Amino acid sequence: MSQLTPLFTDDFADFPLKRALGQVAKRRDQGAKVVGAYCSYAPVELIWAMGGVPAILCAFSNVPIAKAEETLPANLCPLIKSSFGFIELKTCPFFELTDAVVGETTCDGKKKMFELITKHRPLYVMDLPQCPTNEGAVEYWKHSINGFKKFLESEFDTTITNEALEESIQASNAKNSLVVEIFAFGAAKPSVITWQEMYEVATYAMVSSGSETIAKLQEIVKTLSERQEKGVFTSKESAKRVLITGCPIGGDVLKVLKLVDEEGATIVGLDSCTGLKAYVGKIEEGSGDPLLAIAKRYLEIPCACMTPNTGRTETLERLVAQLKPDLVIDLVLQSCHTYNVEAVKVESYVRNDLGVNYLKVVTDFSAQDHGQLKTRIGAALEMC
Amino acid sequence: MSRTLGPSGCKLGKRTGVLIKLAGIDIGSRSIEFVLMTSGTHEVLERFQAETSIDLAAQLRLIQKNHSWDSLVSTGYGRHLALKVLGGEAITEIKAYTRSAHHFHQDIATVIDLGGQDTKALLIDCKSGQLLKFEMNDKCSAGTGKFFEMMAATLGLSLDELVAAALKGNKSFEINSTCTVFAESEVISLLTSGISVEDIARAIHESLLTKLVSLLAKVTTAGSSAVLFAGGGAKNSALVTFLAQALDKRVVVPEYPDFFGAYGAALLSEEILNKNTEAI
Repeated sequence: MSQLTPLFTDDFADFPLKRALGQVAKRRDQGAKVVGAYCSYAPVELIWAMGGVPAILCAFSNVPIAKAEETLPANLCPLIKSSFGFIELKTCPFFELTDAVVGETTCDGKKKMFELITKHRPLYVMDLPQCPTNEGAVEYWKHSINGFKKFLESEFDTTITNEALEESIQASNAKNSLVVEIFAFGAAKPSVITWQEMYEVATYAMVSSGSETIAKLQEIVKTLSERQEKGVFTSKESAKRVLITGCPIGGDVLKVLKLVDEEGATIVGLDSCTGLKAYVGKIEEGSGDPLLAIAKRYLEIPCACMTPNTGRTETLERLVAQLKPDLVIDLVLQSCHTYNVEAVKVESYVRNDLGVNYLKVVTDFSAQDHGQLKTRIGAALEMC
Repeated sequence: MSRTLGPSGCKLGKRTGVLIKLAGIDIGSRSIEFVLMTSGTHEVLERFQAETSIDLAAQLRLIQKNHSWDSLVSTGYGRHLALKVLGGEAITEIKAYTRSAHHFHQDIATVIDLGGQDTKALLIDCKSGQLLKFEMNDKCSAGTGKFFEMMAATLGLSLDELVAAALKGNKSFEINSTCTVFAESEVISLLTSGISVEDIARAIHESLLTKLVSLLAKVTTAGSSAVLFAGGGAKNSALVTFLAQALDKRVVVPEYPDFFGAYGAALLSEEILNKNTEAI
């Protein structure tokens, strides 16, 4: 087997968050305003259009949770506690770089947490309609996006023109379709891309835009095509294939993905907001109403906060057909009620309609359930 | 349980040619179960149980020194260490229980395993022996064997005394705490309020029973008339009786419920041996 050519050859190989931090800091040094975001629903095209840069503030480390629990209830989502704990400790490098923060009402815990951090940064909370197919939902969401636009304009004394929005929509589409193309390499058998690489690509693209980014992503596509042509694989032919779906993942909760690796299986897809989810779907170009075009695309994100969330099962159907997993792991963060309850429908759909094995894992960022997770993941893979 | 696994100790059955020894070891959080059986006839040559020691590697090396086998499979939480120390292969206890259940009780599709640290419910395809679904308790000791140990200690009883008391007690109230530690304080306050030890012992069983029933409900299919109850917890006769009442189903306990994982591992070691032999 030939040597694996790495997708990233900079100083941040295997440290995707440090690379992202470097990207944000570089833009900031060039005078760009940094707007922190907590969710895939944050319409980053507005931030790019004003010459700013988004920074993702969702945290996945167990370290600041003890600090957060001095204020927040223990039985809360670890992502919220970790993000809040970092802010309290003033140790979140991303938050420290931000000039403003945008929140959204996807989750009750986050929504109320935002109220506690308003003292630290100018903050705008976008009201997200959660019945996306109801009459007026898209128009209402467009109003929320317009509110965010006005906030940015007034906070940074700037004007976000329709032309600038159109440009950033086109840039997003170009970037997003390349990320989708990269994730599609997950279909290869044996695998030619690891989950660590998928995660690196998703993290890099989140805070990058423009010609340099497009060139980098095109280079990655080329590298992966070469791996495929030369037969350079990242898994064994016989490795069982796993698709990860569910809550956003990163940092300490990657323990679940590492356990899959330990069992000799290969992860072929990351269907979450820190994976493919944020890059799927095109924003209509040249519509004459860029805010409406943005609103339509963002309301299609299949988050469990939506009801009905038909996009979730449609996505799973598409990904299962494309990636041919032997097992779907539905990763739910503790106290994330929407993903936890939606798992009932997801399990039935994956098992009965798609005919694929399914395992739900409810976990947090601590290592306390390591032994049990190993048994459960091991047993689920033995079943395949 | 099949008669070939009766308490026959070292008595060997008919032997044809060379005796091939299969070993299964289940290393749980509380105890280790080891079983040695013959290939083909599955007669038990040896079976023993020991508390899991702090120096597990040394404990395993001692087992290796005192026993020999042709094929070994390890299961339970210590399976990865066993793989390093003893060799052979490692499988999850879920697979081991599935194998045992299909071997000894092919007609029963639903299995519950009450272990020291966790509880598992399995649904097996009776025809193929394939595991169709499994569920485990949350990452907490409520609903596990450890819960009984702690409750018995709180009442100043041995485990056997706790079981005997529960059988005499009435179902008059509930223990509400789902956490073992909080349940302990609840039990202490019940004691001080003058409620009988028998009724408290009964309530302790009912509390665990609720968790077993809800775990089973997640895997049980309509029409199943029996549940196989294995793991160390199945030795609790009160719980077996109460579970049968609560489910309104036949609850079958194998002869050595705590050896179920080790038996499954030994049986799987035979499959591995056969596969490897074929490959030669």
